[in-house]
Amino acid sequence: MSPEPTNGDLRVGVFVCDCGLNIAGTVDCGAVTAYAETLPDVICAVRNKYTCADPGQNEIKTAIHKHKLNRVVVASCTPRMHEPTFRQCVLEAGLNPYLMEMANLREHCSWVHPGDREGATAKAMDLVASAVAKARLLEPQEEMEVPVTKRALVIGGGVAGIEAALELADAGHPVTLVEKEASIGGIMAQLDKTYPTMDCSI
Amino acid sequence: MTQPDEYQMGLSSRKAIYIPFPQAVPCSYILDMEHCLGNNPIACGKCQDVCEKQAINYDDADEVITREVGAIIVAIGLDVYDPTEMDEYGYTRYDNVITSMEFERLICAGGPTAGHFVRPGDSQRPKRIGFVQCVGSRNPKIGRPWCSNICCMNTVKDTLLLADHYPDVENVVYYQDIRAFGKSFEDMFQRSKEAGTRYVRGLPGDVEENPTNGNLLVTVENTTSGKLERHELDMLVLSVGVEPPKDLAKISGLLTLSKTSDGFLMESHPKLKPVDAPTRGVYFAGFCESPKDIKDSVCQAGAAASRAGALLNAGKITIEAITSQIDAESCTKCGVCARVCPYGAIQWKKGEVAVVIEAACAGCGACGAACQFGSITMRHFTDAQLVAQVRAIMAEKPKEKVMVFACNWCSYAGGDMAGISRIQYPATNRVMRTMCSARVSEDMVLEAFRVGAPIVLVSGCHYADCHYINANRQTVQRVQRLWNKLEKAGVRPERLQLEWISAAEGQKFAQVMKQMEELRQTVTDEEIAHAMEALKPKPKKKPKPKAEPAAAAAP
Amino acid sequence: MATTETFRCMMCGHEYQEQVERGEDKERSCPKCRSNSIRHLRGAGKK
Repeated sequence: MSPEPTNGDLRVGVFVCDCGLNIAGTVDCGAVTAYAETLPDVICAVRNKYTCADPGQNEIKTAIHKHKLNRVVVASCTPRMHEPTFRQCVLEAGLNPYLMEMANLREHCSWVHPGDREGATAKAMDLVASAVAKARLLEPQEEMEVPVTKRALVIGGGVAGIEAALELADAGHPVTLVEKEASIGGIMAQLDKTYPTMDCSI
Repeated sequence: MTQPDEYQMGLSSRKAIYIPFPQAVPCSYILDMEHCLGNNPIACGKCQDVCEKQAINYDDADEVITREVGAIIVAIGLDVYDPTEMDEYGYTRYDNVITSMEFERLICAGGPTAGHFVRPGDSQRPKRIGFVQCVGSRNPKIGRPWCSNICCMNTVKDTLLLADHYPDVENVVYYQDIRAFGKSFEDMFQRSKEAGTRYVRGLPGDVEENPTNGNLLVTVENTTSGKLERHELDMLVLSVGVEPPKDLAKISGLLTLSKTSDGFLMESHPKLKPVDAPTRGVYFAGFCESPKDIKDSVCQAGAAASRAGALLNAGKITIEAITSQIDAESCTKCGVCARVCPYGAIQWKKGEVAVVIEAACAGCGACGAACQFGSITMRHFTDAQLVAQVRAIMAEKPKEKVMVFACNWCSYAGGDMAGISRIQYPATNRVMRTMCSARVSEDMVLEAFRVGAPIVLVSGCHYADCHYINANRQTVQRVQRLWNKLEKAGVRPERLQLEWISAAEGQKFAQVMKQMEELRQTVTDEEIAHAMEALKPKPKKKPKPKAEPAAAAAP
Repeated sequence: MATTETFRCMMCGHEYQEQVERGEDKERSCPKCRSNSIRHLRGAGKK
C-alpha cells in the first residue's frame, strides 16, 4: 500500500523510550528511532532513557518548540498507564492533548518477547508506524465538563462501608449507605474478639 | 413461632419478630414476614396487640428510593465458605465438627451459651480442640486457589482465647503454612505456641467420630516429621475461607465492573490505582476487592473515601473527547446507530436525523462501526485513523503478521497484564487499540485482509465484563456476518478469529497469541493473494476512504 | 421456545448442536478447545 500523501503542514515528533533496560534490553531502540525518522511527516525522532521522567518530558517540550511539532508520538509503555502524563506534557508545551499518540513498546513488546530481539524490534517499528499513521490524522479535541452530583453512595454496611461512609460524611459530603440486612455491621458484628489486639468486634 | 437465629449461626433460635442482635443499628424490631403468622391476623397478630405505639404494620411493602449520586463506593464484603461440599472433615455428619464462624458465637459472651465454650453434641466443655486451616482456601481442586488471608491469624487468636479462658485446654492446629505477616502477628503466633498450642504441618487425611462419646479421631501426616499421627480430639474447628459475595455479579453488572480470575473485583491498576474501579467514579473498599482483615479494610475504606471525596470536591468531571458525532448532511435517517447504542445516547425518530447526547455517550464506537454511510465520526478513533493504522502495520511483509484488534478495557489490558507478568508469546502479532471491540467495523477487518493480513483477530471483553454494558454483542453479530461474507468471497473464514480476554487474563492473551501464530503458519501465499483481490471494495457512487460493501444491511 | 442450532468452532473445526432459547444471549466457547470463535451455522448473522 502506498503511504498517504505527505501533508506539508504536518510536523510529527517521535520519542522512543528505553525505559532503562525495560525496553532497550530487548528492543533495538536506536534502530527504531532511525526507522521512525523515515516515516512520512516525521520531522524529528528522539531516543530517551526515561521519557516519563522530567528530563524526558522536557525533551518533548523542547522539541515541540524547536521543530514546531504539531503531532507527537511517544513510543514507550501502555497508554493505559501514561497517556494522561504525556497528554499533560504536550499541553504544557502548547499542543492540544489529543495530538499525542502512544505506541506500547513495553507491556506489548519488550516484556513479552525477551528472547527475540529481532522479532521484538520489527514489531516495535510497526507499532511506531501505526502510531505515526494515526497521529498524522489526529485532530485537536475539546473535552466536555459535566457537573458531579455532590452525594456519595456506599453499597454495603460492613466495616469497610461504614468506615468509608463516615469518612465521606466527616469531609462534609452527603452519603447514602445501603445495606441489605436489617442491621449494619456485616460479618464483623458476628465475631467475638478480633486480632491482633483481642478487642471486641462491636 | 421460632426460627434459627442467623446471627448466632443457627446455634440458638429467635422469634418471627426480633432484634437481630443487641448492638444492632438501627436497634429496632423487624418482622420476618416469611415466618410471621400475623401476615394473616386471624392466626396470630399478638405483637400488634401488645405494641402500644402501634408500630407494627404487617402490610408494609418494599419501597424504591431514587438518589442521584456522583460517586459510588462498593463495599459489599464477602461470603464465608460453606464446608458442606468438602465433607471429608465430617462437618455435616459429626456434631462436634464446627466452623470458625460457629466458634465465634460459642466463645462470645453474647452468644447462645453466654460464652461458656461447650460442644454442640453434648454441651460438655471440650479440652482437646483441633483447628484445620485452609478449609476452602488454597485448594485449586475445588476451584478456590486463593489464600483467604485472615484464617491463620483468626485461628491463632482462637487458640489464645481458649488458653486464656481455660488454662487446661490442649489446642492443636493443622496447617499448610502459617501466614503471620502483619504488624504484631508474629508476636501473637509465638504467644500461641508459648501457651501450649501445638502446630502440626499437614492437613488431616481422615476424620472419624467415636459414636459412643462424640470424640473425633483425626489422622494426619505430619509433613515435618514424615510420620502419620492419630489424635483423639473433643472438638474440631474448620477454619473456613472466604469467597466473593453472591451479590457481586449483580453489582458488577450494574456498574460494569470486572472480576479477577478468583472472582473478586478487578481494580483499575494493581499498584497505582488499587481502590479505583475501571469505571470512573466507582471505588472499592474491603473484602469484595480481595481478602483482607479488618485493619486493611478500614485502610482501604479511607482510601476509597478520599478518592471519592476528591471527585465530589472537584464538582465536575471532564469527559474524554472520544464521543460520537453525527454528520446531519450524510445521515440517511435509518436509525441503526440509535438501535446499537447501549446507552440510549442517540436520539432518533423515523424520518429524522439521529442526534447524539454527548453527556450520555461513553465513546464505545458501536454506532460508528454500524453506520453504513460514514456519517458517524468517533472522535479520536475515526475510521480514517484506524484504517491508516491497519495499512501502516501491514505496509511491509504483511504475510508475517497477525492483525489484532483489542478493546481498551479488557483485551488490550489483558495484553498489558501478560506484559506485567512477563508471559512470553510469539512476536508476530500487531495489536491495535479501540475503546470497544464493537468499534471494529466490517471495513476495518476487510481492509486488513485487503492489505495482506493472513489472520485477523477481534478481541473484546467477556460478556459479563463488557465495559459498554453489552456493546460487544454487536461485535459477535458483525463477526458472524464477516464469516459469511468471507466464505462467499472464497476466503477461508477461519482466518478471522474472535476471542474474549479479560484484563486479568494475561495468560489467556499469551495463549491466544500463540494459537494465532500457529494459525498464521497455515495460511498460504495464494490464499492471501486471493483474499486481497476478492475482497476489493465494489465501486460506489462516491468513492471515500471508507468504502462500504453494500451487502451487509443491518437487521 | 427452544430450537436446536448448529455451531462450528472456527479454531479447531469442532461442530456441535445446542438447544438455544429464543432471545438467548450468552458467551459461547468451544466445548472442545475453549475458543470463542464460534460460528452460528444456521441463521448466522441474525439474532
